Amino acid sequence: MTRTLPLTIVMIAAAVLTIVLCTFTGPAGFGIPSAGQGAADIVGGIRLPRVLAAFFVGASLAVAGAAMQALFKNPMADPYILGTSSGGALGASLAIVFLGGFFVPIFAWIGAVVAILIVWSIAGRRGVISVETLLLTGIAVSFFFSAIVSFLIAIAGQNVHQIIFWLMGGFWNASPSDAILSACILVPAGALLFFMGRDLNALSLGEETAAHLGIDATRARWAVLGGSTLLVAGAVSIAGCIGFIGLVTPHIVRMLMGPDNRVVIPACILAGGMLLVISDTLARTFFSDLPVGIITAFIGAPFFIWLIHQRGMAT
Amino acid sequence: MNDKYSIHAQNLHAGYGTIEIVKSVSCTFAPGTFTGIIGPNGSGKTTLLRTFSRVIPASGILLLDGKPVSDYTPAELGMALGFVPQDEGRPFPYTVMQVVLMARYARTSRFAALVPEDYARCHRALAETGVSHLADRSIRTLSGGEWQRVLIARSLAQDTKVLLLDEPTSHLDLSHQSDILTLMRRLAGSGSTIIGVFHDLNLAALYCDRLIMIQHGELVADGTPAQVLTPKKIREVYGADVVTSCHPATGRTFLMPIKTANGTNSAGKPLNVQVISGGGSGSDLLHFLSGKCLSLSLGILATTDTDYLTAQALDIPCVPVLPFSPIPAHALEKFKRMLSRADRIILSVHPVGTGNLPVIGALSEVDPARIIIHLPEGRDFSSYDYAKGAAAAAFENLCATGAQCTTSYDGILQHLYPVAPETHE
Repeated sequence: MTRTLPLTIVMIAAAVLTIVLCTFTGPAGFGIPSAGQGAADIVGGIRLPRVLAAFFVGASLAVAGAAMQALFKNPMADPYILGTSSGGALGASLAIVFLGGFFVPIFAWIGAVVAILIVWSIAGRRGVISVETLLLTGIAVSFFFSAIVSFLIAIAGQNVHQIIFWLMGGFWNASPSDAILSACILVPAGALLFFMGRDLNALSLGEETAAHLGIDATRARWAVLGGSTLLVAGAVSIAGCIGFIGLVTPHIVRMLMGPDNRVVIPACILAGGMLLVISDTLARTFFSDLPVGIITAFIGAPFFIWLIHQRGMAT
Repeated sequence: MNDKYSIHAQNLHAGYGTIEIVKSVSCTFAPGTFTGIIGPNGSGKTTLLRTFSRVIPASGILLLDGKPVSDYTPAELGMALGFVPQDEGRPFPYTVMQVVLMARYARTSRFAALVPEDYARCHRALAETGVSHLADRSIRTLSGGEWQRVLIARSLAQDTKVLLLDEPTSHLDLSHQSDILTLMRRLAGSGSTIIGVFHDLNLAALYCDRLIMIQHGELVADGTPAQVLTPKKIREVYGADVVTSCHPATGRTFLMPIKTANGTNSAGKPLNVQVISGGGSGSDLLHFLSGKCLSLSLGILATTDTDYLTAQALDIPCVPVLPFSPIPAHALEKFKRMLSRADRIILSVHPVGTGNLPVIGALSEVDPARIIIHLPEGRDFSSYDYAKGAAAAAFENLCATGAQCTTSYDGILQHLYPVAPETHE
């Protein structure tokens, strides 16, 4: 409680600093490139939108992860592991192949919603969701959707590059409109989940408990599902599949600030944004613009294994 | 018209999917009462409780404080009714205080912060269940009993008039069981409506004003513990044999399980043991034998005899006759038929006068090898003779013709199970 305010101030400052520093960092080193107008275009027209898009996408994924973890009563939940991201990717791929790239965000959202509903109806049927059931169901749904995406790639013809881009996850050609779109999704959906912090707290102890505490559990569940899938769909339609940000960030935040979701959600916005901006800056600066999804997986997968190990020790 | 009841259920049906668990339950709960819901595993106790709290949809009439529960908003319900689950998952490391503060959500706008009164109420609730010292601990580090008391504290902090508890003491040790149930009695005393599901019938009998017994989702008994907890009812509903009595210290109904018949004779049936006693000589012996896997029966007993009351309490068949009158011929005939069916006959030596001498006489007609005579240590047959020597002679005669004589209960067991001494308990 007493640590919350100073930590929040530190995190806001760190987030602003990260955005500024990363905007001025590139393959040419740190600083404003010297060559006049062209350099300003690079920083303001290419790097700044890219950094902002990465920040908003990272924030979206982290907030969605935190909300899903509370809803599924399970700290192992994550949009990537639960198949939501692959659902989004499938929706996006369908839009690319059959609609020539129009309505990608909408189709990504529909795909994400379908995926999470499938996982929910299989794993969450009896009220209690075990880690094993949840992960296995998520993986099964992921594989199934990935198979459909592979099929689409096989028949895609000229659009194949665009689809592969979604799957790798990256910000190569992030435009100012991407940054604006992700902000437009993050602000209302993030605000919704922020003001549902206490609903998330109660839901994380079980839907029945939430109902007994005077929470409209059914409405809260649908609101959380709707908000978090919207965030994932926005992220996927801009940057493709970027894993583990949604898993790792809430864990780090809880370690620092405790599990109260009224704190976790806003902190995830800052921490998730920072994590992805730093990862993307690393990708484009040191790894000749490697897809950032590879970087986050390199960091996230060992972290996930460490989490499983920790849980094993606890029980 | 129903305002005097906190909960008024009429023709309530509820279940999961197509399976109906609660069937046509009608009952009312008045303020200031502590009611226990009892019944065997899977009888629908918890489901009934969850039906009351609206988490399971039900058909029928369900009024909370005179108003249909379906008319309550979620927040109103959270202020009217508290629920303590048996256990609750703890995936995240909230502190105890954070979990208890969730009780105040229903009373606070989501855009407002909790006020000092909320914190004070929660601290008081923690103190009431004896977990104040855990306030800042992570819930993941608590023991099952500590967690259960935290859950009870949370529902107390909800400040509701109705409190539903699902086996509130299942994880608690003896002293905490009594602390929590005493607290519930006190709450009932100050006007709350407390309803709890109980596994432990003695705890329920000790603390509840009223018990409701559920079987296969239907209400089968409703009344004071003494009215509901009869050996007959328990056998019908639980399929278990018990003896009941009034606890000398608490004055409340007290219940003791006894092993159901599973000792066997050569035909694979429980060993059929006929006990002949009188004047209270058999009561102690019957209590001793009732736990020993035997199919017991008693002989001819006057309805004023202590042994007759024991037979009633233990539900052992006997041949009752009127006191102070000669034994009727049909009773004697019935007794002889029972004797002929018995694998073993235990004669607990008791005062015999001319009135009950025919009972002993009847024994001369059975194979003496089946008879075990129990004569208390340091006594002789003549001290039980009130028939001018005829009774003592009859006893002596049985011994002489091959009946086994013993002075101890262990001796009786050794004669009952001559080749299987390990059957002793």
